[in-house]
Amino acid sequence: MIKRFIIAATTAATLAATASAQELRMTVWTGSDAHLSMLGGFADSFAAENPGVTVKFETIPFGDYVQSLTLQLAGSNPPDLGWLLESSAPTFVQAGVLLDVGDKLRGDAAYDFADFSEPAMSLWQSGDAINGIPFSTSPLVVLYNASMFEAAGLETPNEMAAEGKWTWDAMRTSAAALAGDGVYGFESMDGRGYGNTVLHTLMPIVRSYGGEAWSSGACGLNSAAAKEAITLYHNMIFADGAVVPPGEQANFFTGGAAMTVSQISRVSKLADADFEWDLAPLPTGPAGAAPVIGQAGLVAFASGNNTELAADFLAHMTSVDNVTTMAQFFPPARNSVLNGEVFLNSNKALSPMQMGIVADAIATGKILPSHPKFPQIQAAMRPKFDALWQADADVEAVLDSVCAAIESLL
Amino acid sequence: MATLTNSQTTKVSARSPSLSLGRREALTGWLFVSPILAGFLIFFLGPLVAVIGYSATEWNLLSREVTFVGLDNYTHALTENDTFWTVLGNSLIFAVGLVPLNMALALALALSMSAPFAGRVVFRTIFFAPVVTSAVAWAIVWKFLLQGETGTVNQLLAVVGIDGPNWLRHPDWAMVAVIVTRVFKTVGLNMILYLAALQAIPRDYIEAASLEGASRWQIFRSIIWPLLAPTTLVIMVITVVGSLKVFDHIFLMTGGGPENGTLVLAFYIYQQAFEFFSIGFASALAVIMFLLAVVLTAVQLRLKGGL
Repeated sequence: MIKRFIIAATTAATLAATASAQELRMTVWTGSDAHLSMLGGFADSFAAENPGVTVKFETIPFGDYVQSLTLQLAGSNPPDLGWLLESSAPTFVQAGVLLDVGDKLRGDAAYDFADFSEPAMSLWQSGDAINGIPFSTSPLVVLYNASMFEAAGLETPNEMAAEGKWTWDAMRTSAAALAGDGVYGFESMDGRGYGNTVLHTLMPIVRSYGGEAWSSGACGLNSAAAKEAITLYHNMIFADGAVVPPGEQANFFTGGAAMTVSQISRVSKLADADFEWDLAPLPTGPAGAAPVIGQAGLVAFASGNNTELAADFLAHMTSVDNVTTMAQFFPPARNSVLNGEVFLNSNKALSPMQMGIVADAIATGKILPSHPKFPQIQAAMRPKFDALWQADADVEAVLDSVCAAIESLL
Repeated sequence: MATLTNSQTTKVSARSPSLSLGRREALTGWLFVSPILAGFLIFFLGPLVAVIGYSATEWNLLSREVTFVGLDNYTHALTENDTFWTVLGNSLIFAVGLVPLNMALALALALSMSAPFAGRVVFRTIFFAPVVTSAVAWAIVWKFLLQGETGTVNQLLAVVGIDGPNWLRHPDWAMVAVIVTRVFKTVGLNMILYLAALQAIPRDYIEAASLEGASRWQIFRSIIWPLLAPTTLVIMVITVVGSLKVFDHIFLMTGGGPENGTLVLAFYIYQQAFEFFSIGFASALAVIMFLLAVVLTAVQLRLKGGL
């Protein structure tokens, strides 16, 4: 009798422990203590609502992220949740590996799904399915070395923007005037703008000229607008010598260039800058203002071991309160947070006025190009674009060859 | 006598009732080789067979869809895919550029280091140091040195009036730059192998030849070079196979560019497998690379007599 009781009690205790001690594993690409501490806070508050549940964050270096995540999903121990970049989202959606959290989020009135900006959700919705929630909707902005502008006696980008004169032509003139003595006028995307991030460099100009990388299965990089825009950038590099050219290392953040196009997450690199700096919107072009947004989403994986719990944590992490907390690092896609005072005061390194520029760009911006075959498109474009980064390149012919290389993939 | 024989038989039977001496020895032998055999089966033969199997499929790693396609991946690589031939050409150019340069430099260094002189150990260490240097650190340093306008290499060239190109971005020079920097990175290992072989050559042979009036070139041509032949073969096989498999150096320095000018086979396999998730096609490419390495090694072993 006693023996039976012991066996029953042990079995019950084991089952209870199994039922309550659940662990969610989430892959992220940040190794920042501040980010991980914030994420840990979300895990703690989730555990308080769901006793026995723990959330483990696994940092994978950014360069290896998609590869490592894919291998984990292909193996027998997939993560429950993860971060995903806008360029990878369509590939993962098409492969059917993302959990549809539509019912969960729409069915929860307190969650207020309608609060998410519709353009910001475009990549993460297909029909009624919601494949993820963007947690960072970060526009490209211009960071500039105000000390250099002042020393050269030039109007700053923000002064020109206030007068409606902040155009790509004005940017070209300023960059050329500021270049010299080992300093460049402009640097794109921390000097990484010629390889896989070439569209980060080109799309702000191309879209402001009325062009697009591709749409409805057709390549737009050889349109008249795109050719004009990219010719301007080519001239800035090779005719003016004003832009850090491919293969050169010069760093805006240490005073090696007067301007850069970047995202606000990079502002932390300016903490110890020995010069005055400011943030301005992207220049406008013949087609007007064309803010460009980079995006990252939070997704749950359909093959995860705890899909229901994963969907709960996804909802928890993207609740109004937690999105508000995240806004200090990651510009939100929730209108209620984006339009409030909280967002304008959320980043200690940026003034409310500067954050206002970020908020405006999020409200009207368009996400960077993406495609289910983005990795193949990227690889097909890369060797063709390499030919563009020569002083004597025939820009129009190169852009025709870029389109010829990717047309069949679009 | 009969009793003694019975006694011996009884003793043997008591130790191993069912195995003969030959079988016991065979079993002992198998037990000795079993660790390496297990490693070979698990980490080499198993994956090799698996890769051959994968190469007959169209397997999307992300969606886990697997379709049997027979030899389609090989047909696609060999007859429909222009990039494959560009990549194969690049791999051969890399090997043809790297192997002779590496071996000649390694031999020259080893010959100069074999004679005793002050600071010999320091020079050996200097030339061997890149072998143990991290590939990432090596690539980063060389990327700085080889920059277009502000690179140290071009600044030194400018002193003698030469306007150097943007080495890693120029379609004609990127391959040259990666070959030369790879040679500097790996030559130390071959130098040490040659040095060990040189030290194993009996001094009597060289002294006898000197007494007979042989010139230094004749001594090298008729004594040193033939005695180095086995080492030369080993170095050649290692260097050729290593040059075919080069990945990290290309990945870090050029990413296969510009204009696919340094896109080599191992990097292309990586791209297909881990950027496009086309495991089947990548496996077919890996099998082709394996066969290429086997054929080249076999050819070199056949040429052994000529060395």
